[in-house]
Amino acid sequence: MKIGSKIRGPRLGTKLTLLGVALLVLPYFSYLQLAEMERLLVQGQSHAQLLTAEGISTLFNGREDLFRDLPVNPKDYESLRAYPIESPVRLDGTLAEWGEVETRVQRFGGADGALADAGFDLVLGERAGDLYAHMRIRDDRAVFRDPRYLSLDNADHVRLSFIRPNGEEGRAAITLQAPGVTTTYWMQPDWRFAETGAPETQIKGYVTASGAPADGGYQLEFRMPLALLGSRRYLGLSFVDVDDPESRTIRAITQTLPTAGKAGFNLVVYRSPEVLQLIEGLGYSGARIQVIDAQHRVRADTGSYRAEAAPDTQADWTLRVREWFHDIRLWIEGIAGTSEDPSADPGRSDALAEEAIAAALAGEPITARRLVEDDVEIIVAAHPIVSKDTTVLGAVVVEQDIDHILTFQREALEEVMVVAVSCLLAVFLAMAAFSGRLAWRIRTLRREAARAIDRYGRLRKQSLESERSAGDEIGDLSRSISTMLTRLHQHNTFLEKMPRTLRHEINNPLNVLSTSLESLADRVEAGDEKYLKSARRGVLRIGSIVQNLADAANLEESLVADDFEVVDIGRLLGDYVANLRLSQQGHPIVFRGVAHPVHARVADYRIEQMLDKIVDNAIDFHHANSPIKVQLDTERDFLRITVANRGPTLPDTGEASLFESMVSHRGPHSRMHFGLGLYVVRAIAEYHGGTVRALNLVDGTGVAIMVELPVATEAPAPIRADGQDRLAPRA
Amino acid sequence: MAKTIAIVEDDADQRANYADAITKKGYEVAEYASRGSALEGFERSLPDLAILDIVLGEEFDAGFQLCRDLLARAPTLPVIFLTERIDEIDKISGLRLGAWDYLPKPISLEYLVERVSSLLRIDEVRSSGSDDAGPSARRLGDLTIEESALLVSWQGTRIDLSGTEFRMLAKLVRQPGHAISYDTLMNATMQSLVTNNTINTHMRNIRKKFEKVDPDFACIRSEYGFGYRWAGQ
Repeated sequence: MKIGSKIRGPRLGTKLTLLGVALLVLPYFSYLQLAEMERLLVQGQSHAQLLTAEGISTLFNGREDLFRDLPVNPKDYESLRAYPIESPVRLDGTLAEWGEVETRVQRFGGADGALADAGFDLVLGERAGDLYAHMRIRDDRAVFRDPRYLSLDNADHVRLSFIRPNGEEGRAAITLQAPGVTTTYWMQPDWRFAETGAPETQIKGYVTASGAPADGGYQLEFRMPLALLGSRRYLGLSFVDVDDPESRTIRAITQTLPTAGKAGFNLVVYRSPEVLQLIEGLGYSGARIQVIDAQHRVRADTGSYRAEAAPDTQADWTLRVREWFHDIRLWIEGIAGTSEDPSADPGRSDALAEEAIAAALAGEPITARRLVEDDVEIIVAAHPIVSKDTTVLGAVVVEQDIDHILTFQREALEEVMVVAVSCLLAVFLAMAAFSGRLAWRIRTLRREAARAIDRYGRLRKQSLESERSAGDEIGDLSRSISTMLTRLHQHNTFLEKMPRTLRHEINNPLNVLSTSLESLADRVEAGDEKYLKSARRGVLRIGSIVQNLADAANLEESLVADDFEVVDIGRLLGDYVANLRLSQQGHPIVFRGVAHPVHARVADYRIEQMLDKIVDNAIDFHHANSPIKVQLDTERDFLRITVANRGPTLPDTGEASLFESMVSHRGPHSRMHFGLGLYVVRAIAEYHGGTVRALNLVDGTGVAIMVELPVATEAPAPIRADGQDRLAPRA
Repeated sequence: MAKTIAIVEDDADQRANYADAITKKGYEVAEYASRGSALEGFERSLPDLAILDIVLGEEFDAGFQLCRDLLARAPTLPVIFLTERIDEIDKISGLRLGAWDYLPKPISLEYLVERVSSLLRIDEVRSSGSDDAGPSARRLGDLTIEESALLVSWQGTRIDLSGTEFRMLAKLVRQPGHAISYDTLMNATMQSLVTNNTINTHMRNIRKKFEKVDPDFACIRSEYGFGYRWAGQ
């Protein structure tokens, strides 16, 4: 047998379910489409941002002045950081309005613990084009200016030195005459006398002595317009301490510079106001625009990359659904491997942005995606700013988040998912129902079709009831099976009637033959009788063949007419074997019964008929002089009659078919045998609710036929007194 | 005057054989091949005994109809069905109609002729008015059997047996208590083709007829594998 023939395909329901699974590709393709759409949108936005950056960069193209006003290398300069102040500042000598900027203290002169004499703590801020400074100065002995002296360097004062926008050096001294408003003068280069007698009003200050009275000293708060500093913003700041009111000599100068020998300026680091002005109006919602110079310094910064987030008013469950979808999306991305999300590694995304800026500074417009927070992803577009001679001055960086794109994508994905899942569910349900129903219908049909013919191949019904009126192919199948059954039934009926018809038809000519032979008998001449006799035997044999055929064909019908009574099978079998020994004297017959009566509800002559057939069979097949064994056993609720003979065994496949009508395992040359005998045995056994089996003997020397019949539960009818031997003498 | 035997048989050969055999015994024979011709013949004169085939030509039940017609005219007329239809149901319908015997084909002519004479004799005995047990009657316990008149009674009640049944019973009671073999019983049917099963069927019918009169009837015993025995009470 081929191995392949054992493997069967899946059942109908499984097949349809597998087909349903194919629908899963729908959400997958939707996802791919959405991912592509996201890519397009991001690309579009990148492009738009790049255009914006390009547009802005054209404003700066050729404006070397805006970029070249800083030293090439800011590391040569100590920087003084000026922090933006949020609220308006009143010059009152305190840090009251400075907000959080007040913590940005830079200390000059003095160790970490305490200020040395003449040291100061400096806070710088910028607001609305002004540079604000607050100095908490430690001075053991405050020497205020005496207006009688013309020279300004013989009292405590603060020197400011810077480069004006026109490149000239600016020197201003903030002089302190008493707590309160200060006076500022432009100074001559030797820092001794004022250039002019008029004070400079642009630089306003206020001093208070209340700073740290215990230590001595005061607080100075002043502001100066950033315009004075130009775009280079070089500023030096120093406190000149005079302690002796008599000699009025300079005791110490505390500078913001580490060493006096170097250039006399610090670099004030703050956003470039000109650049800022240029781009201020360009900021739009959701975009952050930065101008970066060739040294990677941010020269201007406006706007925020973050769009206004719509207030999240959705219900909890929506959020939960969102989370699921987010998970599903990640899962799909994991499967599809389409994720281009740099969010996996924020550090890397920073590096990407840096690379983008570096690339822009190298002269190449570029865009990059970058993750700034856990769930905020932005697009960075950088466009170089070039000078007239096409060197790169800096870059315009436009940053905008793509939250709206992602939101759109997520919502679309959610919709797709909801639709797809509902569709899948609906299709699955429909398919399950459909396949279930289909399978059920086919099963019903199969069961009924299987029941239409019994195990012996007899038709039980001529048409099928199920699916008869169905319009589909199953209905067609049912109808065609019904048609088949009807035709088969007609054919079977014909076959079943055949023996009887045959007998009817043959009996007439037989009768002619036998009566004619009989009439002939009187006139036959001596010596010819033998021909007459053989003719008669022939007639007899034909008759017996036909009779047997008809008997077998009618058996099941005639069995119905039989009456059952409770009979002692043990006695029946004993008598039968005893009589058998007399009639079959050539064949030894061994009988083994049981001691107690074995009652069964049977038609006794049918049992006898059955035994006749079994014994005939055994005698036909047994080896000469070997005994035929007849045995009766009882089990709990059935009895078993076994007739065994030594002789040829059954072929392996013959046992089941042996009891079918017209099946004989005799050789082809055997006469007078249609395989009816054992068929009769089976019909009778089954009519009595029993079974019959044919088995080869264990030692392989012969065959046993076993009939099992149910044992009667009721008592037998009382046996009327007989008083005679069971085996009466023969007549 | 010779008795007239009507033979209704559509097969000419068989009809001729029957007629020859019966004529030889000194009876007159009226042969008919179809129901129509038979009816016509019966119009002219009724026979003393009729042998009917059931299937006549295309008419499947012609014999039964003829039997009905005949018995309507002469209720006591002996009618023998001689037919190839040997199914139990046909046999029962035939005997119910009032036929005296139901003989299956193929038949032995010798037996047929004997049946004819026997039935005519019985008819004579019966028509002579004597319903009592005649001189030939035998008693065996509750059983009274009068072979010449084909009469059997049990505990004084008449039991209607067909000819074959009667002959089998007669064989059985000839040697009460002795087992009678199937072969012997087969001879009693005088048919050329009889199986054990046929005997069993006859015996069952005989038993049933007795049991109708006496539910406790148990005198006919099976000798399984051999034959039957009449057991005394």
